[in-house]
Amino acid sequence: MRETPSFPRVTTSAFPTVADPAAPPAPVDVRALAGALAGIVGPSHVLTRDASLLVYRSDGLPGLARDPALAVFPGSRDELVAVMRALAAVGAPFVARGAGTGLSGGALADGVTLLGLHRLKRILAIDAEARTATVEPGVVNASLTKAVAPFGLHYAPDPSSQTACTIGGNIAENAGGPHCLKYGVTLNHVLRATIVLPDGTVIPLDRGDDGGYDLLGAFVGSEGCFGVVADVTVRLTPDPERVITLLADFTSVRAAADATSRIIAAGILPAALELMDQATIEAVESSIYAAGYPRDAAAVLLIEVDGAAAGLEEDAAAVETECRGAGARGVRVARDATERARLWQGRKKAFGAMGRVSPHLAVQDAVVPRTQLADVLEEIQVIGARHGLRVCNVFHAGDGNLHPNIPYDAGDPEQSRHVHQAMREIMARCIAAGGTITGEHGVGLDKLPYMDALLTAETLDAMCTLRDVFDPERRSNPGKVVPVRACKEWHGAASVRGGQA
Amino acid sequence: MSLETTPLGRERAGLDSCVHCGFCLPACPTYLALEDENDSPRGRLVLMGALLDGTVERDDPVVREHLDKCLGCRGCETACPSGVPYGRLLEAARETITVDRPLPLVARVVLAVFARPVLLRPALAFARAARALGLPAIAVHLLPRRLAMPFAMLASTGRAKAGTDLSDSRAAASHPPPGAHRGTASLLTGCVMEGLFTGVNRATERVLAVNGWRMRAAAGQTCCGALHAHAGDADTARALARRNIAAFEAGGADVVVMNSAGCGAMCKEYGHLLAGDPAWAPRAAAFAARVRDVHELLAEAGPRPTSGAGGVRVAYDAPCHLQHAQRVVAPAQAVLGALRHVELVALADSDQCCGSAGIFNLVQPDVAERVLAPKLARIAESGAEVVATGNPGCLMQIGGGLVLDGRRVVTRHPVELLDEGYARGLGPG
Repeated sequence: MRETPSFPRVTTSAFPTVADPAAPPAPVDVRALAGALAGIVGPSHVLTRDASLLVYRSDGLPGLARDPALAVFPGSRDELVAVMRALAAVGAPFVARGAGTGLSGGALADGVTLLGLHRLKRILAIDAEARTATVEPGVVNASLTKAVAPFGLHYAPDPSSQTACTIGGNIAENAGGPHCLKYGVTLNHVLRATIVLPDGTVIPLDRGDDGGYDLLGAFVGSEGCFGVVADVTVRLTPDPERVITLLADFTSVRAAADATSRIIAAGILPAALELMDQATIEAVESSIYAAGYPRDAAAVLLIEVDGAAAGLEEDAAAVETECRGAGARGVRVARDATERARLWQGRKKAFGAMGRVSPHLAVQDAVVPRTQLADVLEEIQVIGARHGLRVCNVFHAGDGNLHPNIPYDAGDPEQSRHVHQAMREIMARCIAAGGTITGEHGVGLDKLPYMDALLTAETLDAMCTLRDVFDPERRSNPGKVVPVRACKEWHGAASVRGGQA
Repeated sequence: MSLETTPLGRERAGLDSCVHCGFCLPACPTYLALEDENDSPRGRLVLMGALLDGTVERDDPVVREHLDKCLGCRGCETACPSGVPYGRLLEAARETITVDRPLPLVARVVLAVFARPVLLRPALAFARAARALGLPAIAVHLLPRRLAMPFAMLASTGRAKAGTDLSDSRAAASHPPPGAHRGTASLLTGCVMEGLFTGVNRATERVLAVNGWRMRAAAGQTCCGALHAHAGDADTARALARRNIAAFEAGGADVVVMNSAGCGAMCKEYGHLLAGDPAWAPRAAAFAARVRDVHELLAEAGPRPTSGAGGVRVAYDAPCHLQHAQRVVAPAQAVLGALRHVELVALADSDQCCGSAGIFNLVQPDVAERVLAPKLARIAESGAEVVATGNPGCLMQIGGGLVLDGRRVVTRHPVELLDEGYARGLGPG
């Protein structure tokens, strides 16, 4: 398992509302808490045995693991609220978790309560006319689209884990996906939500459209640090009249990156524009999701244009022209829905397909300005080569959202050290290019070490102040997103509360 | 103690290919029903890894509980982008932990009976006699639902085939064979299939004959051993496999045909099962290469369509060991496509397990019922009058659930429907 990253210290007074963090923590009696929670959700939905907590030590990033003290799975909204109040009553910190598909260690509970929301999986309402759906947080992203498909609608944000990840988790991470280039990320599709604050208060939040602040906008992407979603109303998107999917084949990564910039510069906004390099193509084509990508290509672009049927073929033709102009060896158009699904299947399962290449996979997520893609990608290869590593790139080229993944063997300490060093260098390069450290996976635990390189102490301070509006005791997903002194800020909070517990 | 030399230890590479992505969760019937990741493929793989790493002991009740609750449907395998060989890992893990603990009594009794024709034949004859007297149907009325399920399953095997043609199917045998002779085939008659679904075996033989296959008996065949292998009793499974290999070698047919998805999946794995036995490994591999599901054989050149248009509403439910274990999907669709005398209706989540899973519904009745519940709900929504599925366990599990719910919907094997259609006449094409 990977070592805990050392948490950079924030040197300003980052925690204005918290008393001396050196004060002794108020210990949580785990057995008593488990008993109280079992009284709410039933004993079969509270886990305390070490062996049964093992699978909950990690999310979709198995290199990071933390042991939860216990796990609780409420099965209804009433149970959720009661659980949150029981946790608040004893000042117990907690971490919300959906399907555990996240890729930043954001749902890891380090010695605290893991609050699984996967049982809250009811679709509460579908309003096809208003094009909205109201769902509980544990509803799986793809099952919402499946449920509204008969109305000619879909839920647009489509992270690659959409067959498994939950809407609640998508909100916490402000999840993206291939089609977010055109349709926007989760934030653009969330209308209203009912939130349970860490103290157990239930509040409705909206986007401030009727006046007031956009508090829901602040909540989306807060990575579980502001509270928990009880239900959410999302926007549904009409299925496009027509979709054309193209696969362009390049003999260099630079040419593929150039084609990306040319397409956008030509004024075309594809629904998706994905780049896969040779290493990724090889992994996909060797898996059961072989998509028919050319194995000898240095890179392929998977491009989709959609919308009204009229004029769409012209868009597709323009995309092909730009690809060929950038040096594409060939451009292929998916003939039917089956071929289209196959091309996409390969892309969406690429991450898992890399599991075949080596025992472990370091997954990264960063953003650079689109115009610098070619330069940064070349430097990533140089960094990888310097450390004797193979970097597989599969990413949302259209918005410059990189996913350099490194297959490796975590059992080899020397190689692991090189992986971590290479990742740090890649991140530094992305920041230097004017980019950022996460496009869609979130900061979680994995990206904490990069936060102070990216943001000033004053900005981090402001983030803490905002968090305190929702979670003044800092019990909700402690130790994530914003680096804090020794990751123990909640101890101080507990001591301030004193006799209230 | 190191487990590296145990069956699970030898499958270590398969375990390592899991990247913890979680894509298997929605494909797992027990995760959906029980809502704990320990009852998901990812959770069970983590427990298997912990066994090998020594983080948990072989006799840890948590490991036992969650491995026991796995149906072995392998729905996760077709959802897994990393190609984790979950079915093999599960059997290896069960074999590894069974060393320290006996199977539950009911499982031991059932497995012992299935391994011994001298016990199995009278048991099935008794079941048929009880069925003929209508005793299971009476028991269903008298017993509480939980206890009634085994009787409902038995009752379902003899239900009137509501809404379908009951005319003499043997008329089908009089159809002239197609132009091409396709080869010779021997049927693995199976334990439950021959005992309780005799009609399915005869229909299989007739349907294959109509499609150009010459049937040959294979004397001396026995239980395929799937139930034993799934439960972790690999030694008995290997002993049964050797007998079958010898029997079908002596039979000499080109192919060994299966009409039970569970048996077919097992027989296709004989090569792996006996890989460690130098005397038998090549014979096992050669045998496995000859095994075909009846849908596969029929789809090779058709099958020849029935005549008519529309009719009884039929929904297809894919047996897990056909869809996920054998990955036989298109051939099943080809067989359905040849059923011109019925109206096919869509069944949502038809790739999800029904909860039968060999003897799972006997040893884990509560879990089996919770897995079955959504299946019955989807069947009701589909409006189907007949549910077609190519595995005796699924026929009985779904059929039993329908009996308990007092529904008139019946379960049939797809080849029975084809056989009945042929009795009416061949269609054009």
